[in-house]
Amino acid sequence: MTKEPSMGGTGNRLWLAAVVLVMLFSPGVAVAASSITGTVTFDGKAPALKPIDMTAEAVCHKKHGAKPAPNEALVLGTGNAMANIMVWVSKGLPAGKTYPAPKTPVVIDQDGCEYKPHVMGIMVGQAYRILNSDGILHNIHTLPKLNPSFNRGQPATVKEMTTNFPKPENMFQVKCDVHPWMSAYVGVFTHPFFSVTSTDGKFTISGLDAGTYEITVWHERLGTQTASIMVGGTDTKTQNFKFALPAK
Amino acid sequence: MSEKTVVAPKPHVAHEVHHEELGFWRKYVFSTDHKVIGIQYAVTGLLFLLFGFSLMMLMRWQLAYPGVPLPLIGQLFGEARMPGGTMLPEFYNELGAMHGTIMVFLGVVPLAVGGFGNFVLPLQIGAPDMAFPKINMVSYWCLFLGGITMLGSFLVPGGAAQSGWTSYAPLSVIAGTGQTWWLIGMIFLITSSLLGALNFITTTIQLRAKGLTFMRFPFFCWSQFVTAFLLLLAFPPLEAAGVMQLMDRVAGTSFFLPSGLVVSGQALANTGGGNPLLWQHLFWFLAHPEVYVLILPGMGIVAEIIANNTRKPLWGYRSMVYSLVFLGFMSFIVWAHHMFMTGMGTTMAAFFQTTTMIISIPSVVILTALIISLWGGSIRYNTPMLFAVAFLPMFGIGGLTGLPLGLNIADIPLHDTYYVIAHFHYVVAPGTIFALMAGIYYWYPKATGRKMNETLGKIHFAGSLICMNVIFMPMFIIGLAGVSRRLFDAGTAYAFAQPTMHWNAVSSWGAWTLALFQIPFIFNFFWSIKKGAVADENPWQATTIEWSAPSPPPHGNFAQVPQAYRGPYEYSVPGAGKDFVPQFEA
Repeated sequence: MTKEPSMGGTGNRLWLAAVVLVMLFSPGVAVAASSITGTVTFDGKAPALKPIDMTAEAVCHKKHGAKPAPNEALVLGTGNAMANIMVWVSKGLPAGKTYPAPKTPVVIDQDGCEYKPHVMGIMVGQAYRILNSDGILHNIHTLPKLNPSFNRGQPATVKEMTTNFPKPENMFQVKCDVHPWMSAYVGVFTHPFFSVTSTDGKFTISGLDAGTYEITVWHERLGTQTASIMVGGTDTKTQNFKFALPAK
Repeated sequence: MSEKTVVAPKPHVAHEVHHEELGFWRKYVFSTDHKVIGIQYAVTGLLFLLFGFSLMMLMRWQLAYPGVPLPLIGQLFGEARMPGGTMLPEFYNELGAMHGTIMVFLGVVPLAVGGFGNFVLPLQIGAPDMAFPKINMVSYWCLFLGGITMLGSFLVPGGAAQSGWTSYAPLSVIAGTGQTWWLIGMIFLITSSLLGALNFITTTIQLRAKGLTFMRFPFFCWSQFVTAFLLLLAFPPLEAAGVMQLMDRVAGTSFFLPSGLVVSGQALANTGGGNPLLWQHLFWFLAHPEVYVLILPGMGIVAEIIANNTRKPLWGYRSMVYSLVFLGFMSFIVWAHHMFMTGMGTTMAAFFQTTTMIISIPSVVILTALIISLWGGSIRYNTPMLFAVAFLPMFGIGGLTGLPLGLNIADIPLHDTYYVIAHFHYVVAPGTIFALMAGIYYWYPKATGRKMNETLGKIHFAGSLICMNVIFMPMFIIGLAGVSRRLFDAGTAYAFAQPTMHWNAVSSWGAWTLALFQIPFIFNFFWSIKKGAVADENPWQATTIEWSAPSPPPHGNFAQVPQAYRGPYEYSVPGAGKDFVPQFEA
């Protein structure tokens, strides 16, 4: 048999070249896949935060088993791992490179007179979908410095509203003027390199090109920390953070 | 009535004035003729009344059926106002603030003062025009610009003003862009009123016919004269306050923002030293006299029509005039009864309670005189008379229910409830607006040369009378139960409001039915221009000077120099050949 003159090998190489070309010239598709990961923990004895009494709002009080709801200002997991920490790349991204906002919306729900999630990131122009699972009157009031404030009531029968944020802005509060204990925080970014910790305290930011980046971590009460991290083409670097109560 | 004649400045008359032929724009649009301007004011006012009424009908849906999507048209208002046809609270606030603003400043005042004042007053005093015709034109166009600004505010991001028609600070200062438009619109409207007031006062004093002494004035002239003083003296503080609030919003000043103001948990940066109560004082210093601006022209219209249709002189004319002047004066020292809840001291509260009780006396004198004027009359129940007679009990209900609000101790539980809404709507809706309707039917023949259809007029009247009461009477019940007027859902979330919720549906159906009963009026208004019964110059056999002019009057108004020979209401004079002796006949 005459062997086919390496058509398969040439074909594979052509495919590979095509894929590389597509990746190189497709906006928003990172060629490299470096990641930064880490864990955020709380250092010291956690303060006892006052739980939230929702007896003023019967529907929500009932949703919490007729007990006070836990305070979300400091949520700790095993080993004092901190939830609700926003981590994002604050410096080092290639100048002039743009990242399209995902078509899928970021969802915030008003459930049990709490915002779920409590901390979230969103890209500029990405749809921000506001749900009202409680079926009572809520009011969603954003308090940004750079973006237009969104301050709108959401009656019981209006289950969903949508808005977006036109400008990048670091963390700002979202609150309900009907239920003053309700609070959430949003960061608006021009890129997708952000992550929010859950109760395991872990975050992962992936898809980064090789380079040196400044990472900022933020907590609603304990402020921000930054770290500078260099990654290669396919690295996974780990950077842990610790928050503590300020010294008295 | 005194037969003494006085020397008044000689007015120009039609045949003495050179009339150049005017083009369409100068004749009908940028006209300086008081009659055209009066009609412009009246039509503008009527259109804004209809628009303001439409805003209210939307609100009434939300109050009757809170949270239920508005069928058919609800989705037309967009996701930001009515997602899926369900009204958001912000849109309700928008509707509430703009309903009040439009009905008061763009509906009733332009119709009552700009419309009737401009059209009737010069004719009634025998003048060829207003003293300052060009200022008169500017006055109308300021109103027009103010109206356009207010309408335009619905289109700005965040919508129109949402801080109530009173625009209380600091809420109004931190509100959205619509509030800035509201303030600019108000500055136009106030300027319009000030120019008009100057013109009315000058015209009334300088251009009255020979022999027309003040005590020979028709009561309508007196009402417009006193109203003009109220506008002239009360509006400047609000204009100043409006400019100050505008500066607070756009220039970083802090006239009305107190130190340490915290909004939604965040301290505002540019605040300090200002006083929110200052806004309330400046607003109510205008807005209480404004209540009388709304009602006095109505009283004047009703007085004319009652005298004409009872075929009797007004009972207690002089008492009515003195009461009117006293009422105008007193209206400047009652404003703080709107502010009992601001924590004012007992001395101040006692003062304003006292002045408020006192101001009710001249109102009662006028109302009583009008009621007694009916006694023994040979009453003609035509459409204007029906509206005029209905005004009396409607205004009576509005006035009497205001007394508890003027007393500090009763105002505390009633303040800001639906009781207040019911009270002042009885004054201005079945009160003033009925009077204005009476005036439209009464002077329509003078403006057009034709009468409006009586059958349609009576349908309009009967339906309106019933519906007005169906709308507003339940609000007394809701208010006495303590339900706040500010709740976008009529109090759905409050247990104490539940027993009154069904009254909201009653009230709303009354409002929507009232809209249906305006259709005969709207049809009649336009149909009668061409098809109405032809009217001569004095179709009501009336006595006052405007009925000596042709219908409609030409430019310059009178073919002959009018002169007043007697008082305004010489009806059923014993020994006279007919049951009226016009004051313009020698």
